[in-house]
Amino acid sequence: MSADTRLRLVGYAAAALLIVLLPSLAPNPFYVHLGQIYAYTAIAVIGLNILLGLSGQMSLGHGGFYAIGCYATAILATTLGWPIGLTALAGLLLTLLAGLAVGMVALRTRGLYLAMATLAFGFIVEILAQRWVGLTGGTMGLMAIPQIDFGNFAMGPTYFFWVAAGLLLLCQIGSDYLFGSATGRRLRAIKESEAFAQTVGLNVPAWRIGIFAASAVFAGLAGILFAHQSGFVSSDAFNIRLTIGLLIAAVIGGLGNSWGPLLGTAVLLGLTETIASLHQYGPMIYGSILLAVLLLVPEGLVGLFRRLAGKRRQDAAVETAPARPAYEIESAQPRDLVVEGLSKNYAGVSALTTVSLSIAPGQVHALIGPNGAGKSTFINVVAGLYRPSAGRILLGGEDVTALAAHQRARLGLVRTFQNLQLIGGVDVLANVMLGMRARDGIVTDVARWFTGRGHEAGEREEALAILELVGLGPYAHHLPKDLAYGHRKLVELARAIAQRPSVLLLDEPVAGLNPLEAQAIAGIVRRLKEAGITVLVVEHNMDFVMGIADTITVLDFGHAIAAGLPAAIQADPAVLRAYLGQETQAA
Amino acid sequence: MKRARSLALAAAIAAFCTSALAQETVKVGVVQGLSGPPAITDFGESYLQGLKLALKDHLAKSPKTKIELVVYDDEANPQRAVSVVQRLVQNDRVPVVVGTVSSGNVLAFAPILQRAGIPLVAGPSIATPITTQFIDQKPSYIFRCSMVEKFQIEAILDWGVKTFKKIGLVHSTTGYGSVTAKEVEAGLKARGRELVATEAAAPGVNDLTPQMIKMRDAGAELVLNFHESFELVYRPMARLDYRPVIAGNWGLSSLKVEQIVGREAIEGTVMGQALDLADPKAKAFDDRMRKEYGSDYRWPVLAALGYDTGQVVFAAVEKVGKSDPKAIRDALEAIDGIAAISATPAKPFSPTDHECLDKEHVFLGVWKGGQVVRLKY
Amino acid sequence: MSFTNALQLLISGIAVGAIYTLTAKGLFIAHLATHRLNFGQGDFLMVGAYLSLGLLLAGVPAPLVLLAVLAAMAILGWGLERVAIRPLDRAGDQTGGYAWVLTTAGCALILQNVVELVWGKSAQYAPPIFSATRNNVVRIGEVGIFVEELAIILVAFLAVTAFYVFLFRTRWGKAIYAVAFNPEAAALLGVNVKGTVILVFVLASMLAGISGFLVGPLVSVQPHMGLVFTIKAFAVASIGGFSNPLGLLAGGLLFGIAEAYSNYFDSAFGDLYPLIAVLILLAFRPTGLFGTRAADVR
Repeated sequence: MSADTRLRLVGYAAAALLIVLLPSLAPNPFYVHLGQIYAYTAIAVIGLNILLGLSGQMSLGHGGFYAIGCYATAILATTLGWPIGLTALAGLLLTLLAGLAVGMVALRTRGLYLAMATLAFGFIVEILAQRWVGLTGGTMGLMAIPQIDFGNFAMGPTYFFWVAAGLLLLCQIGSDYLFGSATGRRLRAIKESEAFAQTVGLNVPAWRIGIFAASAVFAGLAGILFAHQSGFVSSDAFNIRLTIGLLIAAVIGGLGNSWGPLLGTAVLLGLTETIASLHQYGPMIYGSILLAVLLLVPEGLVGLFRRLAGKRRQDAAVETAPARPAYEIESAQPRDLVVEGLSKNYAGVSALTTVSLSIAPGQVHALIGPNGAGKSTFINVVAGLYRPSAGRILLGGEDVTALAAHQRARLGLVRTFQNLQLIGGVDVLANVMLGMRARDGIVTDVARWFTGRGHEAGEREEALAILELVGLGPYAHHLPKDLAYGHRKLVELARAIAQRPSVLLLDEPVAGLNPLEAQAIAGIVRRLKEAGITVLVVEHNMDFVMGIADTITVLDFGHAIAAGLPAAIQADPAVLRAYLGQETQAA
Repeated sequence: MKRARSLALAAAIAAFCTSALAQETVKVGVVQGLSGPPAITDFGESYLQGLKLALKDHLAKSPKTKIELVVYDDEANPQRAVSVVQRLVQNDRVPVVVGTVSSGNVLAFAPILQRAGIPLVAGPSIATPITTQFIDQKPSYIFRCSMVEKFQIEAILDWGVKTFKKIGLVHSTTGYGSVTAKEVEAGLKARGRELVATEAAAPGVNDLTPQMIKMRDAGAELVLNFHESFELVYRPMARLDYRPVIAGNWGLSSLKVEQIVGREAIEGTVMGQALDLADPKAKAFDDRMRKEYGSDYRWPVLAALGYDTGQVVFAAVEKVGKSDPKAIRDALEAIDGIAAISATPAKPFSPTDHECLDKEHVFLGVWKGGQVVRLKY
Repeated sequence: MSFTNALQLLISGIAVGAIYTLTAKGLFIAHLATHRLNFGQGDFLMVGAYLSLGLLLAGVPAPLVLLAVLAAMAILGWGLERVAIRPLDRAGDQTGGYAWVLTTAGCALILQNVVELVWGKSAQYAPPIFSATRNNVVRIGEVGIFVEELAIILVAFLAVTAFYVFLFRTRWGKAIYAVAFNPEAAALLGVNVKGTVILVFVLASMLAGISGFLVGPLVSVQPHMGLVFTIKAFAVASIGGFSNPLGLLAGGLLFGIAEAYSNYFDSAFGDLYPLIAVLILLAFRPTGLFGTRAADVR
């Protein structure tokens, strides 16, 4: 069990103890009341932190989900008289549906448009809550919503606190798991580069909608608890200030850190209670603290505590592998790659014109040509990031032209990028692990994560072995940005290997590297070939290409002007013309 | 400003030191809408101004029980309102609470106070059911010193149907506005009449041209105005060349509304009223408030009701002499001999009546030459 | 609906739309160069309105008031850039890339509070600028238009034209585009990147100042009026496309007119329909009517 895990488990135990004891420790019942508000507000903030911090999406409409959960449970409980458990479930279901619907819009929009779309959603819910008086009671509200007191009125507040705080603890554990598991890693990958996420086989739209809906459900749960806390719900509680408040708590606590919401919510509530009596200066105090935190401690309070405690990320070489067996490169299944008559037009300009090629299993094929010849377009079309205008792509005889990038990746069509796509938020080891499929089922994975025993041990071992294979063993725990350029290229290659490719597309693997580094990469490519992997490489470096390629295709202005063995290509007059610049004849 | 700051500071200190002074000083909890748009803060601040002046006058009489206000802002949000009331009751241990602007907020926390057995004097919220829903409970802890929507509407309608043939209504889309619209419709129906046009407008809206076109085309001679931004109905009149008589919420008597729309435009506007500035006592109060608060003073009737609330509550506390909610409730119900500025009677409450203002105390005011006076009809 | 009414609504819609366009213009230019904007743009407008009414009521002539407001707002815009925008570059990605929402909103809160302390929390009377009396109406047939409305429509069109020329015809405009495209490359080409970013925030703030100066007499001037304008401007910029200066004008007019008609046909939900329309529009055209969609360029 690592120190981190031990700290985490001690934390959970302490939190559980605090929850049990707080009602009897509190100087007066008001603190229990504050504890209740804290518990459900923090749940909503956790949801927002997952959305903003992990998946990088934005929402200015989370108050809307909070309201939907709140009204669903309140209306069902008062008009239909359902038991609270059932109404709460219905509320969660409804927010899930609303989250999926808004998530669908969120999927298509980005940046400010996404902010506007969610803002509009929040306002629409607020307007409906306020005006659909027959259903919601408007600002005069719904009254006599059953409270969670298990029939004991005097103990009601205590029981409610236990329920809300218990749920908060569960949500926090869930959030910790998300941040500490493969799921969190993948969400970070989607946040930083969708193109990358697709190439490691992630169905990006499904993930984005899913995480949006999950985040909405957290907000809905908070709303449900709120309804049963006060027993009175009115539309004035759900204005834009609610959403902004949640956002402030998330950012002040520290986005992208699982413990941030707990701290941020505490600060938010503390502030609110302080300015309740300083109303003349309330907005100014609020605004100043917001500015101060964002500008002085942009990483949030969690970051500040880290800084104060002097606790840094544990340094490299913790796992200096005692006698790890050397990694055996495995191909999922040797396949050939056939491209037939591929064309690609951008707004009338043709970047590729009926290019065909075919690579036998275990062969290395190089695609060369001057700048602007269409090489990158070709690789992007084959990988599935761009749709071809015409032509077919066959992987092991199977037509994959209609498949999305992530589906091709799952079939073993793996690529690297010319402009490196590494996930900066996680270390090198985790970057490599992104290429792997999970080995444990979800239950085993959660259990292993919780106890800290053998969580993702197999994956880690394998990733470390791959890193040693490419010579990066000592850098496993560095962040990608701390590595030299050549090493970062190797990380990409390691990640691609971890995907167990059948066909590997290498986009300029040695561009910008010195001859020594290029040689190392050439060595690895040869070993990939020996393992039966089909390789298509796009590269300018002729020494490198001639050293590894079995066959070559030359592109110029989108046309394949030559194809054949390296020696034949070197002697081909058309190729020479293209490279030496007699464009008129070449075009 | 300085005074406001020191008061705020005193309130803050009071909030945090709950121990030593608790014996000799009685704390009166105040919840008001003190931040947000003017539709809320104008009401909340005006009422609080009156309340504070009343405390000053009360303390000047060197009473045997010291009184201190603990003031919290509820941000016009029911969730906050419930929270600050919990804080007043459980943390500050106040034996009596006054507040707040939004009727929805009062409805949210009134049951809590009733259950806890702590008297509430509601104000300046005006929704009709605030006191009525508790009056059957023996004893009811819920009182009110404010305009009552029903009485105000009844008075306006009595006058309206006598004077005009065609009546239209512009109300806000807030819950307050919609509830009021229903009461107006029901009231007219009881008088055998109907609105010629009903239009709504959102709280943040800036232009009522579309709504006023509807009023003009329906030929409304009297437009009832129950939108919290009282000045909005006046602006399109010039461009539409349409000048109906405006009547509505007591808010129309605010000095700020007169400033914004201008003296000529507001001349003849009628509203529910509980303060007659022709009364020398009211006039003297008006002058004092002007001196005390300068341009921050904007709403005579609200300030007067706040002042009277203060008188009633402080007198009850003085009579009890200690922090005893039950006794203060009983004292409130029995209090007599209040020299009220507003139309509040000398004995405002009884076991069956928890309203300062009853139907007979509410009259109609009209803007005339830059002052709101009693409408005679 | 009679033709006169339709025309009357159209004109008041255009006037409201012109206000939104001016506010949205400020969002647009800041976003263009920095991909950030002032979430308190509406609150800056509010400050402009208060400064104008304060000076006008003190008897300062209108042209001088405008100059003073522009100068004050320029300083405020510069301050905003220094306090709420520039420090974010140091912070990097840790705040999720949306920190500007909260830093600029924080500044807006402080401004609201300052205005409350100076002028009080109530709505204020803003005297007319181009007329001697409150209700100076020009009549075209049976349609009435306030002189103040004509002014704001005129200024909105002028501002859009001026911006168009500024962005595409002047060196500064090109510098803004260069910074927008790639700050490092722009710096290499000799563009003063820091200066350009300050410039756009000063310009945005001055636009808010002009809007505030002009809208005062037409709306309810109060310390919390800003949020509505920010949100409407945000909607307008989303309809028009954050990257298109002419799209903004179209978006602004469309939104203003839609609001006027929607309030006429169903005033109880008059503010709901335009929002739903925006949401649906964004679902089908994720970068607005006139925006261009940039692919995930890596």
